[in-house]
Amino acid sequence: MSTDPKLLSAILEAAPIAMVMIDREGEIALVNTETEKLFGYPRNELLGQPVEILVPDRFRAAHPGHRGSFFATPTARRMGIGRDLYARRKDNSEFPVEIGLNPVETGEGVFVLSAIADITERKQAEEKFRLVVESAPNAMVMVNQHGEIVLVNSETERCFGYPRADLLGQSIEMLVPTRFRENHPGYRHDYFNHLVTRSMGAGRDLFGLHKDGSEFPVEIGLNPIRTQEGTLVLSSIIDISERKQAEQALQDRSDELARSNAELEQFAYLASHDLQEPLRTVTSFVDVLQRDSHQMRSEKVGTSLRFISNAATRMSELITGLLEYSRVGREGQQVIVDCNTMVNAIQEDLSHIISESRATLNVEELPQLKGCEPELRMLVQNLIINAIKFRTKDTDPSIRIVARQEQRYWQISIHDNGIGIAPEHQNRIFDIFQRLHTKQEYEGTGIGLAHCRKIVHAHGGKIWVDSYVGKGSAFHFTLPC
Amino acid sequence: MKQRLNCILLIDDSEADNYLDTMVAEETEVADEVVAIERPVDALDYLKTKKDGEYPKPALIFLDINMPGMTGWEFPEVYETLDTDQQGKVIVVMLTTTLNPNDEARAKDSPSIKGFERKPLTHEGLQTIVKEYFPDRI
Repeated sequence: MSTDPKLLSAILEAAPIAMVMIDREGEIALVNTETEKLFGYPRNELLGQPVEILVPDRFRAAHPGHRGSFFATPTARRMGIGRDLYARRKDNSEFPVEIGLNPVETGEGVFVLSAIADITERKQAEEKFRLVVESAPNAMVMVNQHGEIVLVNSETERCFGYPRADLLGQSIEMLVPTRFRENHPGYRHDYFNHLVTRSMGAGRDLFGLHKDGSEFPVEIGLNPIRTQEGTLVLSSIIDISERKQAEQALQDRSDELARSNAELEQFAYLASHDLQEPLRTVTSFVDVLQRDSHQMRSEKVGTSLRFISNAATRMSELITGLLEYSRVGREGQQVIVDCNTMVNAIQEDLSHIISESRATLNVEELPQLKGCEPELRMLVQNLIINAIKFRTKDTDPSIRIVARQEQRYWQISIHDNGIGIAPEHQNRIFDIFQRLHTKQEYEGTGIGLAHCRKIVHAHGGKIWVDSYVGKGSAFHFTLPC
Repeated sequence: MKQRLNCILLIDDSEADNYLDTMVAEETEVADEVVAIERPVDALDYLKTKKDGEYPKPALIFLDINMPGMTGWEFPEVYETLDTDQQGKVIVVMLTTTLNPNDEARAKDSPSIKGFERKPLTHEGLQTIVKEYFPDRI
């Protein structure tokens, strides 16, 4: 069927876009007014001219070839699929176009009718979109329905460690950790079937996979974008490592707080128990005296009064001990402490106990340490007193104090030849009010070693014991250099 | 005539408490003998040692919770490993000043612990306990 040229001309004039018809030689046979407007040529300067005058110089040489192959198999289709097309105006300026090609049979043979749309505005919008994506503070990745990456921004390159070229055209699953990879295409298909703007993986923890194989926690927002190439999905990916770390730090602190609250509660329970004990003793004996004193033997009265007096002394010792214990770390002015001078002073203070117990102290060269002097002194003094107090019945106490430097701390050890501590008791001796012996065997408040541990902890060190029953103990503590 | 208990054993690290409790137990006259021991290990030795050819098998043991060395919680664990003729028909009653809610639950897990009594032991309190656990004796 052939086409009436007049009818054709009338149709072309009515079209809202530029239409150009060329013959087999590539000469322009027909144009409409839109073509004149778009290209800036009057009609008479176009007709009979090769169509290549509308093609930018850089594409011009290849154009006759394309033209020839179209005429070889003329079917209606879009020109240059996958390539960006540009047209040239009379003033030599270029603009992006989209061109549809239609073979038209006429009495004079086959012509090709091209419909040329100026897509400058769309391209500008696309460019604007690209710039927005590029400048986004999040990694932005756009995928098509096949899950292929079609667009990424520089934040994506930074976040995942891949250059752009290694991402484009690849499957989005390359950014998903292996353990989640299997399920991902399923999620992806579900999303393409229910396109809404939403966040990904509600209730699940999401992770991204960096090029170096490391994983990082992410939050992902999904946005469907409908384009001429079909629906695309733009994902906005935020690396939430820092937030997760902050959350973890917060969690750690609240755990620490809960632990310290529980400790405090236990402390209050133990303190009230141990403080009430002597008070109860006083009350009980006072009751006995009130009730029975007129008929009691003086020996019983004397015993009762002795218990009352001992209980009062003990109460006073407990209160003093608790007060000192609670002060650890509060008023600690950090100074350089020469441990040699400090131990000499302690020996002088304890000279009475030392000579009475016939104890010998062998002190090696000790370091200078930074710390709160009264606290360090209390620490070492408590340990020396313990070494003397828990001596065996038949051997004079022999105490050796040594220091050893490790990489970042000093370890000071106080060895004795005392009664030792059974393994099952070694971990609880540093807990407050834990006593291994009755008051009749070894006097004490049960605060001493707890006090030592609190001091060491306040100085950033550790304290522990090595001990063998009947052979002796070695208390070790570390303090930072 | 009341039949008295053979023996009451007090296990408490406090010399003062033992003195008082012994005084109360003796004055109540519910047992032939009142023995006070300060260390749980010594109490176990006492139970395991025959005297005049027989184990002491005290009818009633009062056990303190907060003791050095071995707590009142650890004592029943060891106690239950003793031969039954060393345990006898003994009722263990925890004697404590403050009753922590955790302590009560813990005591229920221990088959030897039959009940609680608050410190200090009183004449009336001891009589009630004897009536409750040894109704045929009174």
